[in-house]
Amino acid sequence: MLRLTAATALGLCLATAAAAESFKWAGTTDPQTMDPHAVNSAPVLGFLNNVYEGLVRRGKDMAIEPALATSWEPIGDGEGWRFNLRRDVKFHDGSDFDADDVIFSYDRASSEAADVKGWFAPVADVLKVDEFTVDVMTKAPNPIFPDSIANWMIMDAAWTSQRDAALPDKENGNAATLNANGTGAFMLADRQPGLQTTLVPFDGWWGEAEHNISQATFTPIQNPATAVAALLSGEVDLINPVPIQDAVRLAESEGVQVIQGIEARVIMLGFAHEAETLKYGANAGDPNPFRDVRVREAVARAVNVPAILQTIMRGNAEPASQLVSPAMRGFSAANDSRPEFDVDAAKALLTEAGYPDGFGFGLKCPNNRYLNDESVCQAVVSMLAQIGITAELDAMPVQNYWPELRADNYDMYLLGWSPGTFDHEHPIRFLASTPNAEKKLGSWNFGGYSNARIDELLPMIQSEIDDGARQAMLDEVTTLYQGEHAYVTMYVQPLVWGAGDNIALTQRPDNFFILRWVTVN
Amino acid sequence: MLNYIIRRVFQSVLVLLVVGLVAFSMFRFVGDPIDNMLGQERTQADIERLRTQLGLDQPFPVQYLKFLEGAAQGNFGVSYRQGRPVAEIIAERAPATLELAAVSGFFAIFFGIVLGVFTAIRRDGWASNVIMTVSLIGVSLPTFLIGILLIYIFSVELDMLPSFGRGEVVDLGGWTTGFLTASGLKALILPSITLGLYQMTLIMRLVRAEMLEVLRQDYINFARARGLSERVVNFRHALKNTLVPVITVTGLQLGSIIAFAIITETVFQWPGVGLLFINAIQFVDIPVMAAYLMLISVMFVGINLAVDLLYVAIDPRLRSEGGTV
Repeated sequence: MLRLTAATALGLCLATAAAAESFKWAGTTDPQTMDPHAVNSAPVLGFLNNVYEGLVRRGKDMAIEPALATSWEPIGDGEGWRFNLRRDVKFHDGSDFDADDVIFSYDRASSEAADVKGWFAPVADVLKVDEFTVDVMTKAPNPIFPDSIANWMIMDAAWTSQRDAALPDKENGNAATLNANGTGAFMLADRQPGLQTTLVPFDGWWGEAEHNISQATFTPIQNPATAVAALLSGEVDLINPVPIQDAVRLAESEGVQVIQGIEARVIMLGFAHEAETLKYGANAGDPNPFRDVRVREAVARAVNVPAILQTIMRGNAEPASQLVSPAMRGFSAANDSRPEFDVDAAKALLTEAGYPDGFGFGLKCPNNRYLNDESVCQAVVSMLAQIGITAELDAMPVQNYWPELRADNYDMYLLGWSPGTFDHEHPIRFLASTPNAEKKLGSWNFGGYSNARIDELLPMIQSEIDDGARQAMLDEVTTLYQGEHAYVTMYVQPLVWGAGDNIALTQRPDNFFILRWVTVN
Repeated sequence: MLNYIIRRVFQSVLVLLVVGLVAFSMFRFVGDPIDNMLGQERTQADIERLRTQLGLDQPFPVQYLKFLEGAAQGNFGVSYRQGRPVAEIIAERAPATLELAAVSGFFAIFFGIVLGVFTAIRRDGWASNVIMTVSLIGVSLPTFLIGILLIYIFSVELDMLPSFGRGEVVDLGGWTTGFLTASGLKALILPSITLGLYQMTLIMRLVRAEMLEVLRQDYINFARARGLSERVVNFRHALKNTLVPVITVTGLQLGSIIAFAIITETVFQWPGVGLLFINAIQFVDIPVMAAYLMLISVMFVGINLAVDLLYVAIDPRLRSEGGTV
């Protein structure tokens, strides 16, 4: 009468077989798909990094290291990159990995249906040289190409094609949405979307296993209080994130450790650079003061970042001087200072700009996108009030927020940016370039900040092979956007994980949870 | 009679259609799903393409008509978030919610009646006073707070019960049940109490009030005068006569147990349709939101329709042929 299905039976077997080193972790967001090319989001790519692998991968220090490619070198004067592939690599279903899988994965990930196709914009063609050598030809010299494809995961051509999943299908889903066949250290054993996902080690993995996990289960837990309770009661071994306000209490609890780090995401204030008039607040309809660099500098000087970090972030975050954190490639060490907090100087700047009595305007802010985002905006409002400019705060859920920004419904806004390539070029391309839909530049530069010299330097940065010359140009761009106060960069968002005392792990700044670095003691 | 039924059914369908229309007109205030579906490196062209593909560029009445067209054929569309048919997802999640609702319904009715009778019989005892006071807390504390409190006491401090999830479930051909495993049963306890506490208090107070009323009636005095035992008087004569209003209220509460499960499911990460709905709102997963709202309104309209029809069956005065109800 009672009919157990295969999945449940498997689940029961796994549960009994792996009592000693099973590992459970919880996060707020369930990866929405198991297809590594369908969705370009951190929860998906972070999770799938355990199952799939790319030609290169990021190590504990975020530097790239060999994965499915054992080595790579530039071709000629920067016509492309040659990747020498690893031999004797097996996919989870037992089939062999070779150059055809790389070509197939390029076609799939760069197709119109793929969400990650942006990574391949600089690529002209991918050529198979022999069974274990692949040439990636770029349209222009591209020194950071290997860095930019650490999340480009390789799928098996045969497995994928046989299952009618040769192209990703985000809207309707296909076999690759619920199943996975990678080369990574872990195999997908059971996938129940939104409920739980189970991974088991892959015996045929090419690498040396550092972990001692026999089974790992991921459960999404949305409610932060429930996640904390689950960690305290020992039902899960790791939660990510820990609510900032619970971090101290959790660290003092027995049997639990709090692991803190700095994420790659920089939180900043953006301005309407182009708008003729203010849209909100007491002075709606008046000429837009934020077009004046002195007003923008006044804002930068009026926001007391250390105070925000002390109170709202409880000392867990670091101030940010530029669009990237020091951990990123291309960080401009020469420009590593923020405008000093100085109310008098800010007031003087306002007077000089012709606003001795200040003005009123509108600040838009998300309330569920970044850590304590609404509280930060409230603090900014009260700090700006000290120099006489009154912000009308409008905080909203992120699903309403982006459409508002796209419709230019703001005078000032809050934005967080995590560079997908871990390189300074990324935020310059998306946030500091003059918006240009055709060239795919400045697509998140809502305010329309524009500097001809930056636009001129960006393609040169993108194709400069020499690191010193490249850094010099990045320094110049940084000086330019800092000098014009294009954005008020405030801080780098903290990363707070909670884990059981018996867990040893490595936290990576991109907030990816890498299972093969976990040891259960 | 037939005339009346047809008219009521017609009205119910009308209500459903209006609910759907209101729901669809609200969706654009929930936000824009496009940004959740596309990554950081999306272009304006990607946004436009996806919007056209999903039909979000159409005015909401057109979107609604499309939804109705599909729904009439049993097709509720594909979830934006999961890329799977909505009907499949809801069918997968429904057992969790229905089992939770059934257990908390049972909990509410059983303890509601027992405690109600007890507090009515011993109306001045200290135990009754304690129960009545504690029950006040049950009504006045919000559900999520009760849930968190129970988790803190029974999971974190006492380490007796799980703080989240359904435990081990067994798949009975499309219906997953937590009734057949120890961990599944343990996982049911805290969420059921959280969800059922309000209803239990309601039933308890109702039973108590009715019982006190009935105990004052002459026939109870007569029963006592005949020398019947207290037990027989209380349970056979008094309790039976208090149950009519209790059953009516309980029936109507059934719908709200399922609908209010949203909060309980969020607190306990209970994988039911309520949690699905909350996730859908966060992601602006319009097909899932639409299907859930329609399902809930079908349920409420259905219960009301059934109640109306029962009244007709019970009360002959409503059975007019001329339509002068």
